[in-house]
Amino acid sequence: MSGEGSTVGGGGSSVDGETSRRRSTDRSRVGWLFDAKLVAVALSSLAVIVAAGLVQVSFGAYSMTVGQAWRAVLDPAVLFDPRWLLNFLLGEELMRTVTGFRGELPELARETLIVWNIRLPRVLVGVIVGANLAISGAIFQAVTRNELASPFILGVSSGAGLTILLTLVVFGSLSAFLPLIAALGGSVAFLVVYAIAWKNGTSPVRLVLAGVIVGTVFGSLQTALFFFADDIGVVQSAIAWTTGSLTGTDWEQVRLALPWTLVAVALSIAGSRQLNLLLLGEGTAKSLGMSIEKVRFALSGVAVLAAAASIAVAGIVGFVGLIVPHMVRNLVGTDYKRLVVGCLFVGPALMVGADVGARLGMNVIAGTDAQIPVGIVTGLVGGPYFLYLMRKQQHMGEI
Amino acid sequence: MSIEGLERTRTDGTDEAASDSDGTNGSTAANRTGDAASDLDGEGLVLGYPAAEEPVVDGESIAVEPGAVTALVGPNGSGKSTLLKGLANQLTPEDGSVLLDGRDVHSMDTKALARKLGLLSQESTSPNGIAVEDLVYHGRYPHRGFFERTTEADARAVDRAIELAGCDHLRDREVGSLSGGQKQLAWIAMVLAQDTDVLLLDEPTTFLDLHHQMEVMQIIETLRDESEVTVVVVLHDIEQAARLADRVVALKDGEIRARGPPEEVVTEELLADVFRVDAEVVATERGPRVTPIRARHEE
Repeated sequence: MSGEGSTVGGGGSSVDGETSRRRSTDRSRVGWLFDAKLVAVALSSLAVIVAAGLVQVSFGAYSMTVGQAWRAVLDPAVLFDPRWLLNFLLGEELMRTVTGFRGELPELARETLIVWNIRLPRVLVGVIVGANLAISGAIFQAVTRNELASPFILGVSSGAGLTILLTLVVFGSLSAFLPLIAALGGSVAFLVVYAIAWKNGTSPVRLVLAGVIVGTVFGSLQTALFFFADDIGVVQSAIAWTTGSLTGTDWEQVRLALPWTLVAVALSIAGSRQLNLLLLGEGTAKSLGMSIEKVRFALSGVAVLAAAASIAVAGIVGFVGLIVPHMVRNLVGTDYKRLVVGCLFVGPALMVGADVGARLGMNVIAGTDAQIPVGIVTGLVGGPYFLYLMRKQQHMGEI
Repeated sequence: MSIEGLERTRTDGTDEAASDSDGTNGSTAANRTGDAASDLDGEGLVLGYPAAEEPVVDGESIAVEPGAVTALVGPNGSGKSTLLKGLANQLTPEDGSVLLDGRDVHSMDTKALARKLGLLSQESTSPNGIAVEDLVYHGRYPHRGFFERTTEADARAVDRAIELAGCDHLRDREVGSLSGGQKQLAWIAMVLAQDTDVLLLDEPTTFLDLHHQMEVMQIIETLRDESEVTVVVVLHDIEQAARLADRVVALKDGEIRARGPPEEVVTEELLADVFRVDAEVVATERGPRVTPIRARHEE
């Protein structure tokens, strides 16, 4: 800005104002979706999901070619039969009540059965978990105003972890309800964190500190419980749950998580303007009339809902919720509307991609059929990504 | 509402074209004479911070003159920013109350309050990637419902605010790429877009270069001369305060030591008492001129 800016230059800029009012940032309801970068991110993520998904449905104990797998996924016997689709999405009972269909469902080809019954649901659960963790992390990063926040920063993972161990080691009879108990444990831990941080209101720093306190105590209890597990199977199951795994996931998991996911996604998109305002700092948000405590608690609640939905079906998958919002922010900018939508694509891409490694990695490396928890793969991917960021970026931390 | 049709005074002839392009009638005084200026009163305010035992401001009352510019001056730690935060309902008073047009601000709905009273804080942080125009649009937050999108009225208010703050040429720039002075103009545009009857500004000129100090001063002058907006501004520079304000309130140690028109308040005695400096004060056309001579060390 030069010295003459306010008079001569200022006069010129008021004319420029006419043209800049028709600038690229569209303020209509959907115009912002067609941001070039966001579209590019969405399309490349979709490509990754489709490619990784095809690998997942092709390989396994019953191997088929990519062409066969592709035909099985697009088998018209399923795709154009609402009974089969509803049978998968709602379960057999609900399908029968909805359609009023009493007879036997038509026979499917062997490939189609394997793909639709066993392999495809796992990909879908990966998509759901990835999307949930990514938006949950994105919300917590705004609420705590910290780029390094994850879905688990406010105690959710430690609460879930502790209840998982309690269920498996102490209350074995309840293990049928493990998914719900884990999700519930995470939510309760979040409430405990909030109660500890609350003193005439709260602040990002208080919340994070309370999260550390609860995380430490619950983490210790969880580790202690491992000592009381006398069965290696119980220990392995506990590790799978606490590191996150998609092994053995089925349509039941899709049905369990999908409704909550839709709610969480809708609420986080609706809340994106509040998230943007939180980034301006507490003082500004307050002076603009935001009831900051209510909004912060409500948004955290949405994030916990998303995290709990993913914990219920896949356990505690680390790093996805931390790095995905980060990657998306680098690609599409800090605006939360775009950020949340971007997370809905990149999260699933990372999760489905990582699950290829978890399911088939050991087969390639060691030639065994063993699967590893997907959380191990996301950690192996996430660490180096942060190393790369650390080298590239000068400032990390505050958004 | 309150800044409707305001244009910054320009020396070239472009303001006519600019106001026509607004699409609204750009005539200044006509459409504002209807709404009276807002009243802001602090009564017996006791303000402090939870960590400190002693309150910073202990039982002060201030009646802000409606439609005028009131400057709060005083040395560091005199409680002027604290008083401003109290008036803005950012700090809950331990005792006393703040009344805006007769209503207690503390009991008002937060959004309703933000439609009437705007505050520009001393340190404002924003994500670096946000465009100036998007930042200014955040000023419309209290005017929008939860699911409402931006309306024509929002777009007009934003255009007006950007125009008044003189940062049209910065519209598409990212806030992170701006200089300190340009950032301040963007933030002022945001709080102007809030379109409030009362505007509280906390040290808006501190840390700015001379050019941007003058830019900010001119914005406040425009508000003073051409609108009914009630402005309270904390200023470090007593000469600026004297030149800009209709009323000056001087604080020391959380106490109001003097209040009144600048020529009555800004005197050598006050500078000695409140700021602890020997200074020479000469009355000029542009208000009192203050030449500080030396710091006083009274033991």
